[in-house]
Amino acid sequence: MEDIVGGWWDKLVRRAAYRGHPAAAVELESIAGQAPLFFRAMGGDPALVLRSTVGTEHGARRRLLERLAGTGTKVELAWRDSQAFYLPDKLDLYPDAALNRQLYFWLMALAAAPVRPGDWLKRNRAATAACLAAMPGLALVYQRLVTGLLPMRPDPARLPPSEAAVERAIQAALRQPEVEQILPPITQPPLPVPLWLHPLPPTVEQAGAAAQNAAQNPQGKRPDQRSGRRRYRAQRVAQDERKNGMLLVFRAESLFTWDEYVKVNRHSEEDDDNNGEAAAEDMNRLSLAQDADTKSSKLKFDLDLPAAAYDDSPLGPGLKLPEWNWKQQRLVEDHCIIKPMLPRDAQPAALPDRLQPLARRLRRQFQALAPERVRRSGEASGPDIDIDRVIRFMSERMSGVAIAEPALYQAWPPGERSLACLTLADLSLSTESWVGEAGRVIDVIRDSLLLFAEALSASDDAFGLYGFSSIRRQEVRLQVLKDFAERYDDTTRGRIIAIRPGYYTRMGAAIRQSSRILLQQPAARRLLLIISDGKPNDLDHYEGRYGIEDTRQAILEARRDGLLPFCVTVDREAGDYLPHLFGHRGYVVVQQAQTLPQVLTRLYAGFTR
Amino acid sequence: MNAPLPAAVAAPFYQAQGDECRLFEAAWQQQLPVLIKGPTGCGKTRFVAHMAARLGLPLITVSCHDDLSAADLVGRHLIGDGQTVWCDGPLTRAVRQGGICYLDEVVEARKDTTVVLHPLTDDRRMLPIERTGELLEAPPSFMLVVSYNPGYQHVLKTLKPSTRQRFVAMSFDFPAADVELAVLQQETGIAESQARQLVTLAGQLRRLTGYDLDESVSTRLLVYAAKLMMSGMAPQLACRTALAEPLSDEADTIAALLAVIDTQFPAR
Repeated sequence: MEDIVGGWWDKLVRRAAYRGHPAAAVELESIAGQAPLFFRAMGGDPALVLRSTVGTEHGARRRLLERLAGTGTKVELAWRDSQAFYLPDKLDLYPDAALNRQLYFWLMALAAAPVRPGDWLKRNRAATAACLAAMPGLALVYQRLVTGLLPMRPDPARLPPSEAAVERAIQAALRQPEVEQILPPITQPPLPVPLWLHPLPPTVEQAGAAAQNAAQNPQGKRPDQRSGRRRYRAQRVAQDERKNGMLLVFRAESLFTWDEYVKVNRHSEEDDDNNGEAAAEDMNRLSLAQDADTKSSKLKFDLDLPAAAYDDSPLGPGLKLPEWNWKQQRLVEDHCIIKPMLPRDAQPAALPDRLQPLARRLRRQFQALAPERVRRSGEASGPDIDIDRVIRFMSERMSGVAIAEPALYQAWPPGERSLACLTLADLSLSTESWVGEAGRVIDVIRDSLLLFAEALSASDDAFGLYGFSSIRRQEVRLQVLKDFAERYDDTTRGRIIAIRPGYYTRMGAAIRQSSRILLQQPAARRLLLIISDGKPNDLDHYEGRYGIEDTRQAILEARRDGLLPFCVTVDREAGDYLPHLFGHRGYVVVQQAQTLPQVLTRLYAGFTR
Repeated sequence: MNAPLPAAVAAPFYQAQGDECRLFEAAWQQQLPVLIKGPTGCGKTRFVAHMAARLGLPLITVSCHDDLSAADLVGRHLIGDGQTVWCDGPLTRAVRQGGICYLDEVVEARKDTTVVLHPLTDDRRMLPIERTGELLEAPPSFMLVVSYNPGYQHVLKTLKPSTRQRFVAMSFDFPAADVELAVLQQETGIAESQARQLVTLAGQLRRLTGYDLDESVSTRLLVYAAKLMMSGMAPQLACRTALAEPLSDEADTIAALLAVIDTQFPAR
């Protein structure tokens, strides 16, 4: 009975103490589609991604009701660091949903503004003033936001003198951001300002460490999308040296601080429930320590060659290809052996259900691209007479200029666009790295290949799909996913689904072989599309300058042969070396790897327009 | 479209961004053909019109399309009163008049057009007319100007190196903010404060090129927006119709563009 009544009381007092307006709440999800574009337009760094924040303790004076309910200790504020920009998961500050929505846009504009020197008040005030001066429309929004916010701030007259001075400075800065304010010494932290950025955002090193941690945990279960965007305050602590940690003999009632790092003598458990996630949500601070054993520990090392039984099925003994040695400035003949292979245990498969809607849309879009049979005049033979040309011919003959072999017929030959496209995807081990919500790079590449193939098969253009990886020069593995001669059907789909990352990136040899294949195609224009995720490299000296120069040579050779090489990369640093390889107009960097399928198809549609 | 423009008394307004006017004039004096590169709507066509008027030359503009053949440029026989009449094409007319022939978006034209362009663009400066057997020699005042829009979207459509090697080339881009401000005010008579807002907005939208938008907002679109605003339309609506809708078809992108526009011109 006590429990039930206690529960009711808790609920009641929490609701009474809550300052927000849940009915007018706006979720981050609802603007997530527009947020990155808006942030970039405001001048934010295009490489930053959107994430949501969790509450941090502000330590400010709370109201009686809040103290009674034990709530109101945390606040969600926006900030930006070198990795991402962070926005609250949900905003319900104002009773009007439109205003809460505008608050999101205001916070993004503020986060995109350049960081200014000075303390918290000065930084925010100066950034606000700059935004307002540059954007009169935003200034109106800001006025509305401030007018709504000021009544929620504590009245300085009823605060102790030192706090009142701080509060007055804050309110003045809110009202007139263009006027300089001096922040008085702070004794008690003031009530947080939801219109400003986080006073003490977690530092870059911490964020970097957290990101590294996430990257090192590929085996871990993927948290659901929403919480994947969430981020926790973390601190790095040194691992407790004692071999056996504290033994909890009895459940001590005095253990109040449950986020303090204590080594406890127990094994990591392998449970799949969400307890950990829920706990992380409640913690103020997560302690990260390097531990000897991890959950789902696994052994991972690179065997030089896989056992034959597990390897992909090789097709023939392999072909010898040259390689460019830039130190000697010459092409070394028969330096590499390329081995065409079929992916092992590829089962015929249909397109995965989750890709169906997009594939349908792409097919429709690309059918429109398919070359139509158009009536062409001026043919030497054809089913119809071209009246215009006959008249012109007669008139020219009457004027005394003889023209031999007039072409006086009309015909409907197949469309003029004759285009062959070979897509070569990098399947090296580096594609196993994680790219956020979309999964691993290889997953994105797989989806892209599937969708791209769907689109191309609708457009009637000849196309081939290949993947490559390498283990030294003796074994450059070219995965034949779809030959030019093959139909795109469930067998080829199954092969694409079966691609796995492995080994290294000897790009030059793969490009040379692809060029040879593409050159056999009878089309007028031949596009060599390369999907990559990084620089060329291999186990031997094939790295750095050597790899780059060999790849460059292979591309120059392809160009000389009349092919059109083009590179699509998800490597954000690609701007450093790709211009050297493909020329300034010969590549595109996909900033958000998960958009690769869309970028690829849009690119192709653009090329062939 | 292909009609010759009479040499205008007053040159159409053009705000120079650098040395391009002097360069163009020097190229004309030295009888060199000119290639102009630049994104859509950055002022290439206006620049040529301005220079033609300034030099007092007739200008003949040809917008190239993928069915434009050499015969369309050179000319053809037509039937007149019981007899055939030879009719000069735009290029031939420009050579005869000694004016400027401007081929807009030259990469779109069919490949056989290069055959007539090549002898005109080297030191021979000749135009052979196959159908009449005539060999025209270009007068000193004749000038050939071609333009196109480079970009990775047009990888499959570029000029052949052997063709581009025959031109002196200039690269155009969207003007700097204060130049663009002057252009907007001069073109539309819009108030300076609003023009400044439009230019700031353009700067914001141009940051999205390559990430969210394929092509960025052009000076031409800005002029359109300013004209709509001058006609009494609410600025937000003007920007929506002239800046957001022409740039994208995706609902999410347009919504985000509108949010950006809101930061300059809020809905009343």
